[in-house]
Amino acid sequence: MRHDHVTDETTAALHPNWKVNDHLIAILARNARDYPNGIAMRERDRGIWHELTWPDYLDVVLALAAGFEEEGIGHGDVVLVVGDNRPQLYFAMLALVCLRAVPSPAYPDAQPSEILAQMQRENICAAVAEDQEQVDKIENVRGQWDGLRAIYYDDPRGLTAAAPEGAQPIEALIKRGRTRLAGDPALRDDLLARPNVHDPAVLLHSSGTTGAPKGIPLKHGHVLAGVRYAAAAGYFRTGEQHMAYLPMAWVGDFAFSIAAALELRFTVNIPENQETALHDLREIAPTLYFASPRAWSGMLTRIQVGIAETTGLKRRLYDHFMSFAIRLEEAKMEGKSPSLLQKLWYRLGDLVIYGPIRDQLGLRKVERPYTAGEAIGEDVFLYFRALGLNLRQFYGQTENCALAVAQSAEDISLTTVGRPFPGIELKIDDTGEILIRGDNVFDGYFQNEKATAETLRDGWLCTGDAGEFADDGQLVVLGRLSEVVHKADGTRFIPTYLENRLKFSPNIRDVCIIGAGREFLSAIVCIDFSAVGQWAQERGVPYTSYAELSQRPEVQTLIAGEIAHLNNAVPESLFIRRMVNLHKEFDPDDGEVTRTRKLRRNVIDEHYKAIIDAVYAGERSLDYEARITYETGQTGTLTRHLEITDLPEREG
Amino acid sequence: MFYRQSGVYHTRYATNRALWPIPADRWQVLALTALALAAPLLVSTLYLGSYLMPWMIWTAAALSLSLLMGLAGQLHFGFAAVMAMGAYTSVHMVRAGVPFELALLGAGLFAAVIGTVFGAAALRVKGLYLVMATLAMQYLVDWVIVNVPAISGGAQATLRTPQVRFLGLPIQDLTSRYYLALGWTLLVTVFFLNVKRTSFGRALIAIRDKDFAAAVIGVDPFRYKLLAFMTSSFLGGVTGAVLAFCYYRAVTPEQFSFNVSIQLVAMVLVGGLGSAVGGYLGAGFVLIVPIVLTNLIATLGASQWIDISQNMMAHLPLIFYGAMIIGFLLWEPLGLAKIYDNTRKYFLVWPFRHSRS
Repeated sequence: MRHDHVTDETTAALHPNWKVNDHLIAILARNARDYPNGIAMRERDRGIWHELTWPDYLDVVLALAAGFEEEGIGHGDVVLVVGDNRPQLYFAMLALVCLRAVPSPAYPDAQPSEILAQMQRENICAAVAEDQEQVDKIENVRGQWDGLRAIYYDDPRGLTAAAPEGAQPIEALIKRGRTRLAGDPALRDDLLARPNVHDPAVLLHSSGTTGAPKGIPLKHGHVLAGVRYAAAAGYFRTGEQHMAYLPMAWVGDFAFSIAAALELRFTVNIPENQETALHDLREIAPTLYFASPRAWSGMLTRIQVGIAETTGLKRRLYDHFMSFAIRLEEAKMEGKSPSLLQKLWYRLGDLVIYGPIRDQLGLRKVERPYTAGEAIGEDVFLYFRALGLNLRQFYGQTENCALAVAQSAEDISLTTVGRPFPGIELKIDDTGEILIRGDNVFDGYFQNEKATAETLRDGWLCTGDAGEFADDGQLVVLGRLSEVVHKADGTRFIPTYLENRLKFSPNIRDVCIIGAGREFLSAIVCIDFSAVGQWAQERGVPYTSYAELSQRPEVQTLIAGEIAHLNNAVPESLFIRRMVNLHKEFDPDDGEVTRTRKLRRNVIDEHYKAIIDAVYAGERSLDYEARITYETGQTGTLTRHLEITDLPEREG
Repeated sequence: MFYRQSGVYHTRYATNRALWPIPADRWQVLALTALALAAPLLVSTLYLGSYLMPWMIWTAAALSLSLLMGLAGQLHFGFAAVMAMGAYTSVHMVRAGVPFELALLGAGLFAAVIGTVFGAAALRVKGLYLVMATLAMQYLVDWVIVNVPAISGGAQATLRTPQVRFLGLPIQDLTSRYYLALGWTLLVTVFFLNVKRTSFGRALIAIRDKDFAAAVIGVDPFRYKLLAFMTSSFLGGVTGAVLAFCYYRAVTPEQFSFNVSIQLVAMVLVGGLGSAVGGYLGAGFVLIVPIVLTNLIATLGASQWIDISQNMMAHLPLIFYGAMIIGFLLWEPLGLAKIYDNTRKYFLVWPFRHSRS
């Protein structure tokens, strides 16, 4: 069962400038030939980093490809790849690409139903899974999708004796593939010659903030173009140390850990497991580091909590030098250069505080730290820049390999995201939408003509983001066009913009601003358990659980203070008048946020209708019947008493 | 603050188990070794001969004893006697025409044999009773040395050490004697550090923690207790010989009296049981602090800052010294090594309070 394919000729006609044999496998073969001792991959296993050279990498990919071929996988087949970052999953993706099959990665924490939907949508014929957990997940929904022929797994623990039918270890495939390759000397060259620059290299998915995720096939040419644009802009260097810890289903991981890693010969370091990722990161000390704004702000919270409980001298030194550096960084942003004395003092601070903190975080050797995905908090951004990390933002979508616009090393500002990479065209149309054109822009959604037509107009990608150019020509991203909403009196506002401003506070993990078609704005807040928990501990505020902590009057006051702070900075029409602390965090398993933690407003509106109604009815508190889905799939209800807080008028 | 731990990763377990996986530790060790090697150029002969050299030799002695007391947990209050046997054996062997290198080995072997014989008592007794057994050894050895003229050369005699050459180099002037002592101490240190990483060292630690529990997991207490006494006595014997040839350049029974045994135990305890750093710090503390205190109080007395009698002046340092030892045992029972360790960790997790990942 293979999905419909446009003929190779028509696909090739889309990009006449691409060279047919300029594809990922050819680049891997080139690396294996030219750098036989270069380390392509390092995997931590029981405390020890096992290294893999380029020739080893190529051999295992080809062997696995030969194994897959024996299993009947070939041109155009879509294969699910699900699990944490594991070398064998990367091998499998490249082996599939080598056979002109299409790997379709899924997030490791995807629900079985999400996996089923993906399999049905994309006519998936086989699955590559990390371990027993993922195999079980697929096995759960297998009855509802009979297109799935086989499951291949990496970690045999719990599966050796009880593997479900049609499941076998990847290791066995590699072994069989090696035997095949040894027996047929022509096969190796045959495999190497098969892929084509116009083939899809991966089938990624839109986050699905609204509706079902759309498949986004990226071709070899797209990702390579993106990587080359970025390298030309100095965004990547050759031979970086890279840590592969972000989900494989995210476009960034494919761009960084596979495309850029092959093209620019990165060493891809794979942590032992997700829980040890931070520790392993410190061991490797990468030179290139990407983290979402949320992860950076989580890191900042960890530092602040660590400093709050440290000893006196260390804390005083930290307080002094950190606020000094932040002031200095603020002055730099305003274009003032520091005096000689300030520079010397900063050097001292680097020795005493900044250097040690960078070392503790494992970011000592990072020269290119990046963030993207959503707006980063001003405080967080300034903090890490003050710490001596040249943190930069970039902007892109899955549709353009996430490599489109980035801040340059010298020209940093808080509000802009930078300039497009050389080779990428960018313009803003009459409605204020950002349009992007370049070889890195995809050729259309997977079997979705309608969405493709909406998104691609004359080769321009409509990003759906509202943007404008700053005076110096840098791009400013305002928010999603579709997210502009109106209050009852017609005032325009973008909830995400306000929410992001609020989320910059370490005490607030998530917040949802309500106000479309209403008299005033209100906020549903999810407190950050670790930060507020620490805050409560220091002040002797007793609590037993998240739910109880969130309803403590002291915590209500704390959060109200954070919102009042925002109210002071926005026009009066955008004041947030009332707020509720939610008894739980928004959870992707409940569908309230996507896996990348973007809010799903319609779900939230529906789940918490009772709360929202109470807020606008002017009540002071309510008893909320919370529906709970246990991990076993059972549901129950629990009554939570939630306080509603009125926020004061403008302070001062 | 100056420890940098990121970027330290291992591709083999061997490097993971290295003595100093963190670069900052390696630099400190290298710098200290370089200083010790350059010491003859840096300090005057007085300091080299009267402070540094004895410090090194007593460190070797403290480490030898720490192997037994700290790692294997066997108390030994007669270690000076072990050193005495080494010293006398080597002197007599060199006098009989045996090369110095072999005499050093002989000193170690003889001390090891006799030490093991007395150590056999440890197979039956523990704690205070073992202290009594080792005390008996101290007095027996003292008595034999004093009362057998063939060994001591007579009741009040002093035996001068003959001229020797070590690996062809004459051990005559201060510098050469210092380097011999330093070389031996470094060798003992490296041995001590590595013993902890071997199955032998782990067996000793198992026995220290509970000997019958060790027996249950297959560590033979009989064998390992004797091996501990043997190893420690061997090192102690050679150290005794080095002490005689490099520092005293003569041997008398008083050099190895019971007081010396107590001092050695003090070095090990103040330094920290079973720690290499502790050996250095403990020996340094016990040797040098009394001298520093004496000088300090003498200066104070001479400068009329405080008005004290001559009699008081002699006793004040001892009072302070005693108070300091009691202080250490009260506030840091694990010794100077633990203080070093705490300081190191303070900087290791800088600027946090504890490690984060």
